[in-house]
Amino acid sequence: MNGTIAVALDLLRESISRRWFLALGAAITLVLVFLGLALRLDVVDGALAATRLFGTALDNDIRSVDVALRPVFEAAADAIFYGGLAFGVLACADFGPSLLAPGRIEHLLALPVRRHELLAGTYLGVLLLACAGALYGAGGLALILGAKTGVWTLRPLAAALLAAVTFTAIYGAMLAAAVFARSSALSAAVGAALFVCGIVAGYRDELLAAFEPGVGREAFAGITLVLPRVSALARTAADIAASRPVDLAVVAAMLAGVFAFGFAMLALAVWRFEGRDF
Amino acid sequence: MLAIEATDLRKTYARSLLGRGGHEALRGLALAVPRGSAFGLIGLNGAGKTTFIKILLGVVRPTAGTVRVLGGSPDDVAVRRRIGYLPERLQLPPHLSGRAFLASVARLKGLGSAEAEVGRQLGRVGLAGDAARRIGGYSKGMRQRLGLAAALLGAPELLVLDEPTDGVDPLGRAEVRHVLAEERARGATLFLNSHLLSETERVCDRFGILAAGRLVRQGTLTELCGSGTRWRVRFAPGCDAAALARLGFFAGDEAGAFFCEADDAAALDARLQRARETGALLVELQPALRDLEQVLAEAVEAA
Repeated sequence: MNGTIAVALDLLRESISRRWFLALGAAITLVLVFLGLALRLDVVDGALAATRLFGTALDNDIRSVDVALRPVFEAAADAIFYGGLAFGVLACADFGPSLLAPGRIEHLLALPVRRHELLAGTYLGVLLLACAGALYGAGGLALILGAKTGVWTLRPLAAALLAAVTFTAIYGAMLAAAVFARSSALSAAVGAALFVCGIVAGYRDELLAAFEPGVGREAFAGITLVLPRVSALARTAADIAASRPVDLAVVAAMLAGVFAFGFAMLALAVWRFEGRDF
Repeated sequence: MLAIEATDLRKTYARSLLGRGGHEALRGLALAVPRGSAFGLIGLNGAGKTTFIKILLGVVRPTAGTVRVLGGSPDDVAVRRRIGYLPERLQLPPHLSGRAFLASVARLKGLGSAEAEVGRQLGRVGLAGDAARRIGGYSKGMRQRLGLAAALLGAPELLVLDEPTDGVDPLGRAEVRHVLAEERARGATLFLNSHLLSETERVCDRFGILAAGRLVRQGTLTELCGSGTRWRVRFAPGCDAAALARLGFFAGDEAGAFFCEADDAAALDARLQRARETGALLVELQPALRDLEQVLAEAVEAA
């Protein structure tokens, strides 16, 4: 088995036995079970006639069921995006430093695995973990609402995948911080800072207009140019989930930026890791 | 054929990011360990033992000099596949079971269907009954045994063990020695680093003393601890101690044991012949060995 894949699968196995991820899995499952059992949607001729939660009717106009579900999917996309990113920053901050812990890294480096495979495997494992969590939540929601209304859509899944990809770009920087300092706290701090700065970077164009021309404006433009546009990607994910039209060229450009940022951070981490003594 | 060959090996740890200043851990270490031998590296704390072991495994890169392990570079994955390593303070993932950890190591070592091999090594180190338990609940000795099992996976040609019996109880140490003896019988080379000199003496047939980053002495126990001219003899009960004393035999550490000096085999034989003429019956003859601890102290002081 390829070293990178073996390391990634080991990370997935280890995460299954960690409390953070057990709690996330249980929480998602509880929400899905709650929706599955407590929510009743009456659909008549393709229109949502009534909505009942625990048997109590909710006020809503009669309208096409796919239109009625759009705000639900949009809210779910926002929750998965921001909630997932915040959770990921906290829960995954320890993966890098625990891999590099004294007594463990020597053992791993003495095995027939290349150094870059260890980091790439950790990165891939986190990517798979983020995708699995996002797809479980969004897929479960789409499945339950699809079964209740007959409206089947993959849009929530696409929105969730966008969140997972955005997180892995942030995780690239967290991993690089871990390689430089072997600290879970610093790794989490870098992730949190990028999360907040990424939200700001998503409003880059609007905020730039508020700056006076000068060094400050150029500095802001320069810094936000390279950061992942977290809030813009979150808006795009919500638009996709809510079946609103999106500019594919803009989405592709943002995704390219996210991938470039993530891989640049991973390359930085690998460069430092390759040259470091443990 | 050599299992380990180091030439003029130097390692300086930089104190600052700019690489200025630094601590010289190894200062021109040269060492050759034949295949199939059991080599014990001894020295005080900070002598450079762990640095040398890490260089052997590619964990630390030397500043200068060369090292070859099993005929290749430690950076070569194919070479590391043939090495089993137990670090000094092995950090194990507490969430995994012992079996899951070994299965993970087996996958990273590229062993195919390793279930049987994992079970076999767990049995050898006495952890078969605890294989399903989480490592977080293991005692220090059990963790050490698990680390040893991980090193043994895949029948490596070279076993590099850093303090293998650290935290293991006396009976467990005997079991570890038994496992290591089996590995030697299989043809594996052992490279051992331990502060427990008595343990090292019982496992290894060659020793190296590291002091201030250099290998100051190496050889068999006899070469290191024997003077070459001093002998320990034991005569059957009833020998005339006074007569033997007049012939240059000085009373030893137990009844019937004596020490004598002889520059060569002929002189030794002549001295023993004179002893026999007094009626003494020789039952044992061996080079008189000093304590390894004493030899270590002398070597370190000289360095």
